[in-house]
Amino acid sequence: MKIEGSHKIDAPRDRIFAALVDPSVLQKCIPGCEQMEKTGENQYKARLTAGVGPVKGVFTATVSLEDIVAPEHYKLVVEGKGQPGFVKGSGELSLKDADGTTEIQYTGDVNIGGLIASVGQRMIQATANMLAGRFFKSLESETAGNNPVSSTGT
Amino acid sequence: MIPASFDYIAAKSLDEAISLLGKHKDDAKILAGGHSLLPAMKLRLMQPKVLIDLGRIRDLSYIKEDAGQIRIGAMTTHFQVEISDLLRRSCPLLPETASHLGDMQVRNKGTIGGSLAHSDPAADWPAAILALDAELVATSAKGDRVIKATDFFIEMLTTALQPGEILREIRIPSGKGKPAQAYVKVRHPASGFAVVGVAVNLSIDGGKCQSAGIGITGVSPKAYRASKVESALKGNALDAKTLSSAAAHAGDGVDVNSDLYASAEYRKQLATVYTRRAIELAASRAK
Repeated sequence: MKIEGSHKIDAPRDRIFAALVDPSVLQKCIPGCEQMEKTGENQYKARLTAGVGPVKGVFTATVSLEDIVAPEHYKLVVEGKGQPGFVKGSGELSLKDADGTTEIQYTGDVNIGGLIASVGQRMIQATANMLAGRFFKSLESETAGNNPVSSTGT
Repeated sequence: MIPASFDYIAAKSLDEAISLLGKHKDDAKILAGGHSLLPAMKLRLMQPKVLIDLGRIRDLSYIKEDAGQIRIGAMTTHFQVEISDLLRRSCPLLPETASHLGDMQVRNKGTIGGSLAHSDPAADWPAAILALDAELVATSAKGDRVIKATDFFIEMLTTALQPGEILREIRIPSGKGKPAQAYVKVRHPASGFAVVGVAVNLSIDGGKCQSAGIGITGVSPKAYRASKVESALKGNALDAKTLSSAAAHAGDGVDVNSDLYASAEYRKQLATVYTRRAIELAASRAK
């Protein structure tokens, strides 16, 4: 399944990129993420409750950040397993300056298998889009407006 | 295919159900027919610790007319809606929608309130409820709260119902004159859910459309009012040209679902075609 889209956040690119590679921020922004533990350089183990409405499953996942080119690009590789099935995927995030705001473009390819894929097929795409939307909304509130914008002039 | 263990409590009254829900909170789910809940529990996609069954509460199942409104108890089954004389006469959209829903077993046991509270993105009821400008009555320890249909559906499987609230009644404004209503649907061949479902509720006077309610389900992650189609119909004679240009807006402004059965592009096209057919059918019934 393909996931792609873009999201604009009213904050400087440096700050957003720093947030996107900060595990404590990621934990707050990934919907349902309860725990995120560093296991190596840019590698993390996460525990999350993912789902929609009352339908939920608990997943454990490994997350690694690759091809990091600050402050414009990185690749996110996720492998998760849980009682309702498995998720395997990777996504590329690109950041661009856009009239004082930052535009994040994302494109990913996700494989979902097991029970959740066979019975939840008709809702998976919409769920993925919804979770992506929630992630960027949280990222927005984490990065926009909190602290005064640094005046490094980048 | 065997659910995780759970406690079952058959509430004897709505008050008892509310207090049980207050006691068990997130551990509890309301059982209101169970034709979505039990399959999900058998797959262990939901594992409530307690089920509070509303099925024994007699006074939650009724269809009556009162003070310019039709009132339907939340535990009224789809089949009871389908065969109601009162509804067939004054709001035939609801029996027609019920007749498209699931299969005989689902219609016999499933309830209108259960389906609405579950809020499957491809369920049939939300389309009709939106087209009819219905109100939904939620009740809790604090009393009743009336929610407009347009405010009820938040996202898929998520409604405006708050923790501790139970959907108690659905209220439909009584229409005037001969009803101009229709529900048409592209049925998913395996699940019976709506690939696209369009509910239309028109008021026509002097050959012109005075008001239009159009609810669409199955197309996006939640059912919605096709407001652009509605405004394109209002004040106009329902000729072929008006119908086509109005129906072209059926998928405007929403994220269109895509799955193995129907791509987003195909679904959007279906929404346009079936919206036109539904309006045509509704208008022909007013004559």
